[in-house]
Amino acid sequence: MRNKLTLLAFLAIFQISSIFAQERTVSGTVTIASDGMPLPGVNVLVKGTNQGTVTDMDGEYSIDVAPDAVLVFSSLGFEGQEIAVNNQTTINVQMVEDLESLDEVVVTSFGIEREKKALGYAVQEIQAEEITRTKQPNIVSALQGQSAGVQITNSGGAPGQSARIIIRGINSLDPTADNQPLFVIDGVPMDNSTTESSGTPRGLSNRAADINPNDIESMNVLKGAAATALYGVRAANGAVIITTKKGKEGDVKINLTSSIGFEEVNQYPETQSVYGQGFGGEYDPNSFWPNWGPSMDEIRQIDPDAQFYNIWEDAMQTGVQYDNSFNISGGNQKANFYASISNLDQEGILPFSTWGRTSARLNGELMFSDKFKVAGNMNYVISGGNRVPHDRFMERMIYNTQNADITDYINEDGTMKSRGGNTNPIYDARFSTFEDEVNRITGNLRFTYSPFEWMDVNYLIGTDYFSDFRTEITPGPMGIEGEVPLSSTGFITETRIDSRDINSNLFVTLKKDWSDRLNTTLRVGNDVFERDYERVDATGSDFVIPQFYDLSYTRQLSNDQDKRKRRLVGLYGDLMVDYDEMLFLNITARNDWTSTLPQGNNSFFYPSVNLGFVFTEALEIPDYLSFGKIRASYAEVGKDTDPYRIGQTYNAPGDPLNGEVRFSRDSQFGDLALKPERTRSVELGADLRFLENRLGLDFTWYKSNSKDQIIPVPVSATSGFSTFITNAGEIENSGVEFILTANPVRTDDFRWDVTFNAAYNQNEVISIREGIEQIQIGSQFGYVGSTVYTFLTEGEAYGNLYGSSYARYGADEDATHLDSDLPIIIGEDGFPERNTDLLILGNSTPKWIGGLRNNFTYKGFDLSFLIDFRTGVDQYSQYDNFFSAFGIPEYTLDRNDTKVFEGVLTDGTPNTQEVWLGQGVGPDDRNYGAGFYRNTYRRVSENFVHDASFIKLRNITLGYNFQENILNSIGLFESARISVAANNIILYTPWDGYDPESFSAGAGGNATGYTGLGYPGVQSLFFTLNLGL
Amino acid sequence: MKIFKTTYSYLIVATLMIFVTGCDDYLDINENPNNPTDAPLAGLMTNSTYETAQNTYRLGSSTSYYVQFLASPNPASSSDVMDEVSFDNTWSNLYNVMTDLNDLILKAEETEANHYEGAGKILMAVNLATAVDAFGDVPFSESFNFETITPAYDEDSQLYDRVFQFLDEGIAALSQDTDLPIGNDDFIYGGNADNWIKFAHMLKARYLNHLSKTGAYSPTEVLAALDSGFEGNGDDAQVEYFDEAYNPWYIVADNNENLVLGGWISEQFVEATDGTTFGVEDPRLPFMIGTTDDGEYIGVPNGAGRGSASEQGERSTLVTDGFYSSQRAPVLIATYAEQKFIEAEAAFSVDKTRSYNAYLEGISAHMRKLGVEESDIQAYLSNPEVSMGEENFTIEDIFKEKWITMFLHPEAWVDARRFDYAYENFDLPANLNPNLNEQFIRRLRYPDSELSRNGNNVPDVTLLDRIFWDE
Repeated sequence: MRNKLTLLAFLAIFQISSIFAQERTVSGTVTIASDGMPLPGVNVLVKGTNQGTVTDMDGEYSIDVAPDAVLVFSSLGFEGQEIAVNNQTTINVQMVEDLESLDEVVVTSFGIEREKKALGYAVQEIQAEEITRTKQPNIVSALQGQSAGVQITNSGGAPGQSARIIIRGINSLDPTADNQPLFVIDGVPMDNSTTESSGTPRGLSNRAADINPNDIESMNVLKGAAATALYGVRAANGAVIITTKKGKEGDVKINLTSSIGFEEVNQYPETQSVYGQGFGGEYDPNSFWPNWGPSMDEIRQIDPDAQFYNIWEDAMQTGVQYDNSFNISGGNQKANFYASISNLDQEGILPFSTWGRTSARLNGELMFSDKFKVAGNMNYVISGGNRVPHDRFMERMIYNTQNADITDYINEDGTMKSRGGNTNPIYDARFSTFEDEVNRITGNLRFTYSPFEWMDVNYLIGTDYFSDFRTEITPGPMGIEGEVPLSSTGFITETRIDSRDINSNLFVTLKKDWSDRLNTTLRVGNDVFERDYERVDATGSDFVIPQFYDLSYTRQLSNDQDKRKRRLVGLYGDLMVDYDEMLFLNITARNDWTSTLPQGNNSFFYPSVNLGFVFTEALEIPDYLSFGKIRASYAEVGKDTDPYRIGQTYNAPGDPLNGEVRFSRDSQFGDLALKPERTRSVELGADLRFLENRLGLDFTWYKSNSKDQIIPVPVSATSGFSTFITNAGEIENSGVEFILTANPVRTDDFRWDVTFNAAYNQNEVISIREGIEQIQIGSQFGYVGSTVYTFLTEGEAYGNLYGSSYARYGADEDATHLDSDLPIIIGEDGFPERNTDLLILGNSTPKWIGGLRNNFTYKGFDLSFLIDFRTGVDQYSQYDNFFSAFGIPEYTLDRNDTKVFEGVLTDGTPNTQEVWLGQGVGPDDRNYGAGFYRNTYRRVSENFVHDASFIKLRNITLGYNFQENILNSIGLFESARISVAANNIILYTPWDGYDPESFSAGAGGNATGYTGLGYPGVQSLFFTLNLGL
Repeated sequence: MKIFKTTYSYLIVATLMIFVTGCDDYLDINENPNNPTDAPLAGLMTNSTYETAQNTYRLGSSTSYYVQFLASPNPASSSDVMDEVSFDNTWSNLYNVMTDLNDLILKAEETEANHYEGAGKILMAVNLATAVDAFGDVPFSESFNFETITPAYDEDSQLYDRVFQFLDEGIAALSQDTDLPIGNDDFIYGGNADNWIKFAHMLKARYLNHLSKTGAYSPTEVLAALDSGFEGNGDDAQVEYFDEAYNPWYIVADNNENLVLGGWISEQFVEATDGTTFGVEDPRLPFMIGTTDDGEYIGVPNGAGRGSASEQGERSTLVTDGFYSSQRAPVLIATYAEQKFIEAEAAFSVDKTRSYNAYLEGISAHMRKLGVEESDIQAYLSNPEVSMGEENFTIEDIFKEKWITMFLHPEAWVDARRFDYAYENFDLPANLNPNLNEQFIRRLRYPDSELSRNGNNVPDVTLLDRIFWDE
C-alpha cells in the first residue's frame, strides 16, 4: 500500500511539472494479450520526452498528457506499442509477449542490468530453460555449444567430474594458472576451483558443480576484457554471470521437477580379440602379458576351456542418475522470496563411482521504503561421492588378461582374484575408496539506498565458505594365506580443506540527464576480496587391525599442512554516456592492489573504453534491416598470481626421523621483482537484425595480447631449483565469432528457432624471456622415448604437442614441424628409424568451435537439439600408447606378418628388406626380440598424436506441455511437462578410442592435449517430469 | 548545495587517504606461512645424510640389474635389457641433495661451524662423484646458486678434481675444534669427527682407485689415502633406517611379498654364489637373499623373465628379513670391506702379499658384517677356490669377491665397467637393447628433464660412450 502511495506521490510531481501544457489525464489498464492478466511495471512514456509513469499492481496507470501526444508502452519481454492519445481519456492496452526481445536486457558486472544495445562488447545470455534442458548436473557442462567463443571440455565421464571452460583461448601460459573465467552468482564472485586428488587422478569436481542448475534464471558469459574491467584481476579471463531465480509478485508458485537418467560408454577403442595371454607367442596363463600370447585357436588346443572376454565392455556398467527438485516462490509489493531444495544422485559407468548433491536455497528481497531495499541469497550445499581412480583402473585394465572374466574379481573370503600378478581394477575400485564431502554455504546481502532519484548507493557483501572433507583408504593385507592385497601396508589419508572467500563491494551510482538526448551514469566503487584457505592432510599407513581404518591404529603417520591467504583491493570508476539511444560510450578505470606480488609492483591500473553505435537510429536504412549496431572496444586488464610465490624458501620434505626434522631447499624460486601480467584487447563487432528481428547476425573480431606472463618456468634441477617463477613472454589470441539467429517459422501453433554460433581462435607465443628459448609446460608419459611434451616456443602456437617421430628422408634439419609427407627412413635392420628430436606433431587447442541449436514448438510439443563441434585439434592418446605396448589394438593383428616397410634407406633408395613383426625368432630364423610393436611402434610419439576433432549431438530433447484444457480437467496443476532427452548419442570423430573429450588432469590444469587414461565419455538418456502448482 | 559538494569531496579524499595508507598493511600478508626462509644447519644435515643413503639406493635400484644382482621377473624389462631409461628422479635427487649441501656449506662457513662445513663437503664429494660415475659430464660449477637456469656441463675429469678438493677441505675443516659440534642430526656418524675424517680418506681411496684404467692412476696414492681410512666394520658409513621410514629395499621386498613384483635375484648372482660357477657355496647367501618354498636358491636370467615360474615361492628374491632388506636395515654408503678390496686392487701390482691379505680380510669383514658364523667364514676362506694362495691369486679374484661384497651398491657398476664386465660366466641379458650392439651399458642416459630444460648444454652421448675413467 505504501508503495502505491509513493507511486502516487511521484505521479503528483509529474503532474505538477506538466501543469503548464493544458494537459488532460489519460488512464487505463495494461493487460497481457495471451491471458488478459494485468501487467504491472509497464513503462508508459510520452514519446519524445522523458515524462512517463509505470503501471501499478493491477496494471493500471494514469498520466497527464497533451491531447496530441503519443504514448509509448514498453515492458521487458513484451513487444512495445505506440498509441496516439487523440483526445481519448481511457486507453487500455494489450501487450504481446515477445520472445525475441528477451535478450534485450542483460545482466553485466555487479548484477547490473543493462540494455544489450547499449553495450560496446559482445555478450550472449543463456536462459534457464536452455540450461536445464541439457540435463547436465554441472552448470559448466550445460554451457557446452551454447555460447560463441566459449570452449567447454568435460574432463571425462565420471559422476561429478570437472568440466573446464575457456573463453577466447588461453591467456596465461603458466600451466598451473587458472585460465577459466570468474564465476559470479547474484553479483558476488564464487569459487570454481578444482582440487584433484594428489595421487592418481580420480576425477573430482569443479566447485561450480555445487550449483543446482534448476535455481538459475539466466547465465551470461562476458567475454572480452572490456566486459570484465569492473571485476578486475579475477575476471581477467572473462566472467560467467549467474542470476538465480527470484519470487515474483502474485500467488505462491510451486514447481516440482523429477528426472531419471541412464548412461553408457559412447565409444570404445577398436581392440583385437584374437591373441591371448603370454609373451613371444607362447601361452602362459600366469603371464604378466595379457595379449602377446598365441591366437585363441592355438590356446584352445592347450586349454580347451580357454575363453576370450571383452573386458573393456564387461568392466563397465550402466550409470544411473536421479534428480529431484522442488521450489516455491512468491511475493508481494514489498517482499518476495524463492526457496528450493534439490537432490541429485548419480552412479557412473565405472563400478563404484558415485556423486551426489543436495542443495537448499533461499532468495529474498525486502523493500523497507522506496529508498531502501535489502536483498539476500543463501545457498547450502552438500556434495561429493566415491571417486574411482579411473586412470589406475584403466591402466590395470590394460595389464589384465582377457582370458579371464574381469568381473569375477573377488574370492569368497573377500580377497582379490588376481591374474598374472595384476591387480583387478574392479576390486581396486571397490576397496580403494576416496570419498569427498563438501559442505558449502554461499550467501550474500545487497543493500540499496537511493537517497535521491539520481543517486543509488549499493553495498554487496558475500561469502563463499566450504569445507571439503576427503577420506582415502587403501586396505592392507587381510591376513589370509595366499591373498593378493592392494597394498602391502594399506593406508588412510584424511584431508580437510577449508576455504572462505569474502567479497565486499561498495558502489555509488550517479545518474544525470543532461538533456532529452544525453544521459550519463557514473559509478564509482571499491571492492575487497579475501580468500582464506587451509588444507591439512594426515596419512596413516600400516593398519594394526586389518580392515579397521582409523588414523590412530596405524604404524606410520605423516602430516602436511598448507595455509594460504590472498587479498585484493580495487577502486574503480565506470562512466556511461548515452546519446539519443543511438550512441553509447562507456569508459572504465580501475586500480587493483594485490597481496601476492611484491610491494612496489602490486598496484596496477587499467582502463577500458567501448563505443556502441545503433546506426539504424541515425540513418535512413531499408526496412528489412530492423536493427543495426556496430561496436568497438579497447580494454586492459591486469592479473596477479598465487600467494607465496616470491623468493626462496625451505621445506620439510618428509616426516621427522628419530625426532629430527629434515630441511631442504624448496624447488621453487620466485622472481623478487615479479610484476602483474597485462592483457590488452581490442574488439570490433556488429549486431544486425533483419526482417522484424526474425534473422539476426552478430559478428565479433578480437585480438588480445597478454604480456609479462607469470610463468613457473621448469628449469634444470642442476640450477638449484626446478621451477623459476618469473615474468616471461607474451601470447596473442585473435579470432572471430559469429552468432546467427533465425526464426524461420512463426505461426500461432508452430515455431522454429535456430541459433548457430561458431568461433575461430588463433594464438601465437609472441615472445619468451630473453635467454629462454623454450618452456616446457606439460608432458605425459609414453613408453621408451614416446613421451609427449607441450612447449612454448617463440613464434609458435600455444598447445603444440612435441614428441619423437619416424625419421624422414629429406627432412630439413632445422625443421620444427614433422613433415609426414616425406618418406620414412628404414634402418639397416629393416625397421623404420626413430627421430628422437622433439618435433611438433600437432596442436591441442581447437581452431574452430561452435554449436547449432534448433528449437521447434508445435502446440504443446517442443523439440530441440544441440550439436556442437570442434576442429583443428590434436591430442596425445596415452591409451593408444599403452595399448600398442600390450598388443591390444585391432591394428596389432598383423603382429605375425612379414612385410616390407614402405620407405627409403638412408641413401634414398626404396627399402626392399622383408622383416617379421612378431616376437622372438621369426620364420627367417632371425631373432626379433620383443617384436615390432614393442621395439619400434610404441617408442614413436607420432603414432599416438591423433586428430581429436568431433561433431556431437550434444543434446536432443522432446517435450510435451500439457495444454490448459487437460490441466483444467485434472485441476491439480497449473502446468505440467514431460520430456525425454538424450545426450551425446551421436559422436562423429576420426579419433580411435574413447570419446576424445577427455583429459585426466581435470579442469584445474591446462594440459588438455593429454587424454591420459581418462574416465571414458558417456552417452545418456533422461526422462523428466515437471509440475507446477 | 555548494557546501554539500565541498563536504563530499573532503569525505572522498579522506576516505582515499585512509584507504591508501591502510592498504599496504592490509596487503602485507605474503610471507609464506608454510615454508621458512631459512633452514637450521641441523635440519640440512639430517636431510643430507638421509638423502645420501637414499641416493645410494636409488642408483643401486637400477645398476643392480646392470651388474646382474637383480633380474626382472618379466621379460624384456627396461633395466634388465639396458634400455635408454630417463633417470629424472635419480638425477633430481642427486642435485637436490647437492643443493642442500651447497647451502649447508655456505651457512657453515658463514657461522664458522667447521664440522658442519667438513661433513657437508664430504657428502658433497660422495654425491658429486656418484653423479659423475653414472652420467659423466654434469653441471656443477654454475649450479645451485642460481647464476643461470641453464648451467653448463663440466668435464667429468675436472669434476673429479673437485671431488678430491672437497675431501681435502672436509678433512681440514673436521680436524679443527668447533663450537658447534654435529649431533644426532647426523644419521651417519652422530657427529663423530674422527669417523668423518676416516670416511673422507676412504672415499679418497675409492675415487683415486676409479682411475685404474687411466694414466693418472697411482696405486701408492690410493694406499696412502686408505692408510688413514676405516679401521674396521665399526667405521662404516651407513644410515640405519627408521620406524618412520623403512629401508627402501625392505619396501621392495615387502611389495614383492604382496605380489607387486620386484627384487628378484639374477641367475648370474645365484650361480656365482651357490657353487655352480665357482664350486664353492657362499655362506653369505642366506643373509642376503631368500630361497624358494623348497629351500633352493634359483635366480632369473636377466632380460628373459621368470618363464613358467609363478609369482611367489619359486625363485629367490630379496626378503623382508634379509641383511640388506629388513625394515630397519642400514643402507651402506662406504664400508671397511669395500676399502679392503680397494687396498687389494691397489696393492696388487706393488705389494702382492698386502693385496692378498686385504682380499681375504675384505671377504671376512663383509661376512662378519652380515653376521656369518666364524666357523662358516673360516670354512669359506679355507676353500682353495677362495684362498688360492698368493701365487695363483689374480685381479679377477678381487673383482669377483668385491662384486659380492658390493651387493646392491652402485659402486659395483663402476667396478663392472672398470673390469669390462669380465666376470666369469657373465652374459649379456636376453632381449638386449638393440642400440647397444651386443655390448654392455657404459653410462646412464641424461634424463628427459635435462634434455628439455637444458638441452643446449647436454652432451650428445650414447649408452656406449664411456666415463673418463673407463676409456
